Formats: sequence, C-alpha cells, structure tokens
Amino acid sequence: MNVVVASYVFYLAISVALTVWVARTLHKNGRIFLVDVFHGNEPLADSVNHLLVVGFYLINLGYVSLALKLGYDVRNAQEGIEALSWKVGMVLVVLGGMHFFNLYIFSRMRRRASLVDAPPPVAPDAYTSVRGHSHA
Amino acid sequence: MRELTVLYDPQCGLCRRAQAWLMSKPKYLELVFVPASSDEARSRYPQLNHSLTLTDLTVISDQGAVYSGPKAWLMCLWALRDYREWSLRLSSPELLPTAKRVISMISQNRYQLEGLGSVILKGAK
Repeated sequence: MNVVVASYVFYLAISVALTVWVARTLHKNGRIFLVDVFHGNEPLADSVNHLLVVGFYLINLGYVSLALKLGYDVRNAQEGIEALSWKVGMVLVVLGGMHFFNLYIFSRMRRRASLVDAPPPVAPDAYTSVRGHSHA
Repeated sequence: MRELTVLYDPQCGLCRRAQAWLMSKPKYLELVFVPASSDEARSRYPQLNHSLTLTDLTVISDQGAVYSGPKAWLMCLWALRDYREWSLRLSSPELLPTAKRVISMISQNRYQLEGLGSVILKGAK
C-alpha cells in the first residue's frame, strides 16, 4: 500500500466517522426543536428529523467521495499527512457549514411556527357591534 | 380571530392597488374588502362612525375590534403569511412611532402618490 492509498484510507475513515458523529448530534439535539415546532406532534417531528438527517448524510458523504481524489503525487509520509490534513479540513468546514445551515432551518421553522399563534401587533382603537354578532 | 374586514377608500388608486396586492398574498386569516361608507359597510357596522373611515383606512375584526389608520395597515400586514413578522417588528416600541409617521404621511398624500405607488406595487408583484 503506497502513501496515497494509505492517505485515502485514513481520509475515508476520519471523514465518515466525523459525518456520523455530527449527524448523530444533530439527530439527538434537533428533535427537541422539532417537537416544539410541531406543537408536540412527536411522530411528525421524528419523521422530519429523520428526513433531515438522511439529507445531511447524503450531502456530506457525497462531498467526501467527490473530494477523495488527490490529483497530485505524494512521495513520503509528510506529504501524505499534509494532503490528508487539507482534505479532512475541507470536510470539517463543509460539515460546519451544513451544521449551521441545519440550525438555521430549525430556528426558521420554529420562528415561522410561533408566528401562526402570534397575537395582533397593536391594540384596537375601539369596539363596534357587528351585524349578526352581539359584541359591544 | 378568523376574518378581518378592510374598509378602504375606493376613490383612491393607491388603495385599489394595495387591495389587489393584499388579495394576491397568502394569508393567515381571511381579508374581506368593503368600500368605506358604502351601504354594505353601514349595514355591517351600524354603530360605526363611517365618516372617519373615509379619511383613514379602517380594519374591523370579526369580533368588532376597530383598528384605524396606521394600526389598520399593520393589521393587514399581520394577516399575511410573508409579512406577519414585519408587522410585529414594525409595532415594536422602537419602530412604531416611525412606522405611524410614515404610514400617516402616505395615507394623507395617497391621491398624489397614485402614480408613484403604481410603479412600486408593480415592482413588488
């Protein structure tokens, strides 16, 4: 096994492990948000949570496999570690970006859900009777 | 609250365009448009001072809560899915005085602003 193949193997192992770790964190902690967004409808929250995590896996593993190819020659262990570090760093940055994007989606969903029940922004100036109603 | 009745000034082009814009947007609650001071408005709200509804936009909830002037505009925004957040933001203590000033200014000059408004609302569509 030459240095390039060894760095590929390490790259895949580290990247996949990181992706799994972030996805599990997201899955575990995102659930609470979603249960709140869906007003305690736990089956729906679990379903959406699962779908989000599947998308997260697909995008990240897709990126990991697209970015595998090194494209230049690695002659010794030092260059192998440098190449590996660059690749894993890119995966981490993409994971971080995806993670914040997910947080943004969660908070947006939560905000939108809270808007449905938001009370009127201003107090009425007066009350009048409505034909067919008997409110004073 | 399920429905808001909007008493608008049918003589003003800006108001008609605003009405068309409001009707085209997705809503949280129903908006019913009734020309201000019309027979329909008078029969719906027998106790309301209808001469006031000709100078200021008036919105009335299905429970009879009356909002007039800038408050009525904010209630219209509040009814729209995409603008409810804006209605809440504009009615915060920091922004409400400015919002009221701007809305009153537009409202008082609505006949003069007709041409300008048509351009803006066409762009917003």
